[in-house]
Amino acid sequence: MSRTLAVARMQLINKWTYIGWPLTILAASFLMSLAIFALIPVNEGKYGGGSQAPMWYFLVLGIQSMTLVFPFSQGLSISRRAFYLGTLGLFSLIALGMTALYLLGGAIEGATNGWGVYGYYFKIPWVTDGPWYSTAAFFFVVMMFMFIIGFWFATIFKRWGTTGTLVSTLGTAVALIGLAALTTLLEWWGSVGAWFAQQSPLSISGWAALLCVVLAACSYATLRRATP
Amino acid sequence: MNDTIVEARNLFKHYKDLNALDNVNLNLSTNRIYGLLGRNGAGKTTLMSILTAQAFASSGEALVFGASAYENDSVLSRICFIRESQKYPDDFQPQHAFRSAALFYKDWDQQFADRLAEDFQLPLKRRIKKLSRGQLSAVGVIIGLASRAELTFFDEPYLGLDAVARQLFYDRLVEDYADHPRTIILSSHLIDEVANLLEHVVVIDRGRIIMDADAEDIRGSAVTVSGSADTVDAFLMGRKVLHRETLGSLASVTVDEALNSRERAEALELGLELSPVSLQQLVVRKTMAGAGTAASGAENFTDDVMEARR
Repeated sequence: MSRTLAVARMQLINKWTYIGWPLTILAASFLMSLAIFALIPVNEGKYGGGSQAPMWYFLVLGIQSMTLVFPFSQGLSISRRAFYLGTLGLFSLIALGMTALYLLGGAIEGATNGWGVYGYYFKIPWVTDGPWYSTAAFFFVVMMFMFIIGFWFATIFKRWGTTGTLVSTLGTAVALIGLAALTTLLEWWGSVGAWFAQQSPLSISGWAALLCVVLAACSYATLRRATP
Repeated sequence: MNDTIVEARNLFKHYKDLNALDNVNLNLSTNRIYGLLGRNGAGKTTLMSILTAQAFASSGEALVFGASAYENDSVLSRICFIRESQKYPDDFQPQHAFRSAALFYKDWDQQFADRLAEDFQLPLKRRIKKLSRGQLSAVGVIIGLASRAELTFFDEPYLGLDAVARQLFYDRLVEDYADHPRTIILSSHLIDEVANLLEHVVVIDRGRIIMDADAEDIRGSAVTVSGSADTVDAFLMGRKVLHRETLGSLASVTVDEALNSRERAEALELGLELSPVSLQQLVVRKTMAGAGTAASGAENFTDDVMEARR
């Protein structure tokens, strides 16, 4: 347990990686969005996609924790289990903190009529329409998803090299296309559309969380035999 | 023996077209300095990686402190193995790497690490990926020394270090080892430089252990006899010849045997000259002799030998 905790602490030694950069990216994209909102002379709600910027950084973080932090942890003779739990645990905390920031931002945004310029950075149609816990679940799961997917692809790369990564990406693409073809063939698009129309942000979060759990479990199984 | 710290039994590691480890059996004891010597690609790093559970053997057993190191915190916490091509987190500076090591090694000595960083003139606040090859090696060397792990591996630790820094490393290693005895495994192909440090020598070649002996026993285990070719050959008749060099009518022959005092006296009477064989020469000769006698794939090996001679 203490070594798992130490893995998390180790990655906070340089505060920039997990705290500084996400906040910088968030602040920068927020200020830029605000500037653009202010420039548009329209007095009704303006929505931007800037709040997704930190999410892409989390994808990179997921990749790097596998390609760089994992080999380093092996050099310090840290077990794969401790590395995995410590890293994923740390990331959950970061995602939780970011989610809180997004909620807070959204609340201020609502109270100030879009920062006084009718600009909505944290508020996203449909996603943030529900109660606060539905919004929170959505943001949290999306952040976790980005990190885990980066982590998962990097694990595949570490274990099976370029060939493995290509096979798994192409395989995923082929499977998705196949699924779409099957849906067309069986004329199921109507019901698929209806299913999506029924989903709420909360239920989508639930499905995405399920996918996260599956990917996280796969990552761990792969990591157990990975070499630095 | 009770103080065995590392035990390898019938270790094999197969890659597609080569055996990186070919039936390795090894016993290492506590509180000694071992040299793991061999050419590039001989299997040194593979062996160390498998012992520390950073990599996996195809078959066989590797026990450290009596158990497998794999996912075993009680074993892993006593091992340090910074590899020659060690990677570090992207944003890390040497100071971050040292603070990380401090979290995991209970005997970590920060003052010692600071002193070493000064010795090696290592910039503590520069990003590791911007460091020179020598400075990168210094980071690994400092972690290895200051962690004071019971079992410490150094993987070609001198790469890119200048002569002064290398000497500093050897000096600090010996000093600190005297105060804090532990088991040190030094992998190297610069044999002459480390020869004086080593208490025990393990030589690996093409995945096989070809020498595993105390440094004391090795010194004097071989001798080079030189003089007129006929006399030398007659004198050494029937002995195990490792290497033979001729220049005109003169010959210089290395045999893998010690001479007793009577034989020594006889050689001097015959006008032959006896000279000791350095550890490096012995390892080179043995490696090349091993390659020469191997029946399979002899052609490739001959090429290797030619390469080494040039």
